[in-house]
Amino acid sequence: MFAETTSAAMVGAEPRAVRVEAHVGEAKDSFKLTGLPDTAVREAKERVRAAVASSSMKFPNRRITVNLAPADLPKAGSDYDLPIALGVLGAAGLIPSRRMVASGELALDGSVRRSRSSLGAAILSARMGVPCLVAEEAAPETLSVQGAEIWPVRSLSEAVALAHGAPPREVRASGRGPIDDPPDLADVRGHPLARRALEVAAAGGHHLFMHGPPGSGKTMLAKRLPGLLPPMTDAEALTAACVWAAGGRSRGVDFVPPIRAPHHTASLAALVGGGTGVIVPGELSLASGGVLFLDELGEFPVRTLDALRQPLEDGTVSLARRGLSVTFPADVLLVAASNPCPCGFAGDRLQSCHCLPAAVARYRRRISGPLLDRFDIRVPVRRLSADELDSEPGEATAAVAVRVADARTVQHGRGIINRHLGRSELDDLSMTEDAKVLLRKAVERAGLTARGFDRVRRVGRTLADLDGVETVDERHVAEALALRGSW
Amino acid sequence: MRDEFATLEGDAIPERLRLIADPPGRLWIRGVLPDGPMVAVVGTRKATRYGLNLAMSMSRAIATAGWVVVSGLARGVDGSAHRGCHQGGGKGVAVLGSGVDVWYPREHEQLGMSLVESGGAVVSEYEPGTTPEPWRFPARNRIISGLSSVVVVVEAAEKGGALITARLAAEQGREVFAVPGDVDRNTSLGCNLLIRDGALPVLGPQDLIEALSLVLGPPAPPGKPSAEMSLEIPQTGANLERVIELNGGDTASVLIELGRLESSGLVKIDSDQVFPA
Repeated sequence: MFAETTSAAMVGAEPRAVRVEAHVGEAKDSFKLTGLPDTAVREAKERVRAAVASSSMKFPNRRITVNLAPADLPKAGSDYDLPIALGVLGAAGLIPSRRMVASGELALDGSVRRSRSSLGAAILSARMGVPCLVAEEAAPETLSVQGAEIWPVRSLSEAVALAHGAPPREVRASGRGPIDDPPDLADVRGHPLARRALEVAAAGGHHLFMHGPPGSGKTMLAKRLPGLLPPMTDAEALTAACVWAAGGRSRGVDFVPPIRAPHHTASLAALVGGGTGVIVPGELSLASGGVLFLDELGEFPVRTLDALRQPLEDGTVSLARRGLSVTFPADVLLVAASNPCPCGFAGDRLQSCHCLPAAVARYRRRISGPLLDRFDIRVPVRRLSADELDSEPGEATAAVAVRVADARTVQHGRGIINRHLGRSELDDLSMTEDAKVLLRKAVERAGLTARGFDRVRRVGRTLADLDGVETVDERHVAEALALRGSW
Repeated sequence: MRDEFATLEGDAIPERLRLIADPPGRLWIRGVLPDGPMVAVVGTRKATRYGLNLAMSMSRAIATAGWVVVSGLARGVDGSAHRGCHQGGGKGVAVLGSGVDVWYPREHEQLGMSLVESGGAVVSEYEPGTTPEPWRFPARNRIISGLSSVVVVVEAAEKGGALITARLAAEQGREVFAVPGDVDRNTSLGCNLLIRDGALPVLGPQDLIEALSLVLGPPAPPGKPSAEMSLEIPQTGANLERVIELNGGDTASVLIELGRLESSGLVKIDSDQVFPA
């Protein structure tokens, strides 16, 4: 009188197998659930009871024990409804026992709903070589899992039929297919400097800082960055989908790198991840592999910005709660924007700035030096004149993306993207003599700091990659100097 | 202690200053009073960035033309005027309302010393050690205008030292120039009132130099033409993207040239603005 099904728990972005063991004893009516269930899991009992009854089956009114193993891993959510129901029915001898992975929430009428571990279940089933039962609405996003045999179900009765050997239904890639194309650079008029900055930032993965008056187009420009980045590989897209799934979101099957733009009032947990009970990824991890856009950087609490620093360095973020430590990816290209001053119009040609210099200085100091140092590229963005708004559209995303992709290929060959070049790698940078002379001059005459020195070398490397040359020459260093900006 | 500093007395005091209604009997001086026509650049201490940039570019133009910039070493417009003069490679004079060894505000000590080191002077009619008191500043202003042939008011509110200087200048028979501003802005009201009362409006560094030439004679030919300056950048500075536009529009090549010029110290990039250094 024992049956076992497998389900999945998301531990960070990694699916972990959870064995759902069901035992049905002879004694009187009871239903016990063990294995660190949270409230939602405990309520599965009621949903399972009702769903079984609604599926024209008699719920075994005997002594039922369900254990979710490993017993020390906290379980959360309604994902276990379907495997629990199948386990109980199997243990009661109502359906044949079959090896399978299942994940899904049960409605009282017996229908099966999407659950957050569907994707994780698909991955586990592929590893185990057994079929995977998920809600039909969650099935399309599991298609990206290589080698998984997906059995989509609409109701508990369908799942029961499958257990009896009925043929599974087809997975239809309907509903949310690939999402709309990202916005195109061709829509951008003017902004020659920002265009160049976007191209270089995309090519080397460099963090980018833009400053300019409200309405100058900083957000519009940032939104065009994901389209410039190389499309994600299957593995990268799957990882991103898992991170999103761990956060209870569906990303669908999308190879365009994500862009996330949290508001500056977002909490620390919303930004870097956390939460009570289940540890969910923050915006930082949802943006991993793509772009994290922080508008009004100076308005973010210092505490929040400080918390970003280490993950930005490591490319991962580790969160610990209740003895469980999970790691999410946090490999983002950070784009930040700021107004130039409190009123926003310093340097604007249409509207004059009324801020006192002391107020401007205070405003700029809100962004700390160490944080500012992460941005290899800093450019001003100005508001367009009427003439420029009427001007010819610029180069399209596709054309720029080709150059970016070539530059990235070179970097993959070296095994590191330029954003991650540290001092020792930079010291070994292949550079012409006059490039070195120019750098020295910049240190002596233009007050280039040690960190600025590294930033210029990193961006210089990217400019050389964009040119398709092995050695960084004087022109690359000169342009990198101009792109490092001043703030 | 007071022996450390030289004084100018009697005929040693420039004639222009000696001939005003209440000339100082004695001037304490650090450095050397430069020869040549002097132009005062004054304005409010509570200047906006617009005013500061303007004071800087105007003074730079004056210095480049070979004239001497006089101001009061105060915060705001005064400070920028001295800095602009320094950037233009000119000689400047600061007239203090305290002893020549008492820096007020403190953070301008370096700026004051740079004037002395680059061939200019810091002067005061007060003995060394004299503390800055509010009532000394209006009196100091008569020396600023007294030394100068022309007084340029860059940004000024309705009331304040800059307006006092302008009034004294008019009484002393000096030319008063003022930079017009928005009519609804407090910080421009003083300048606009001066223009209404007969001051000559000046519309930028270029315009200022032309107007000054009529009063002071043609400017000295630029000593060293900036032969290395390979980009067109307006004297008053310009937005980075404007510079790209002005120079033919190929972003990468203009950026490359800017990087070269910046590391040679020929241009300065401040936030979104590019200035010829």
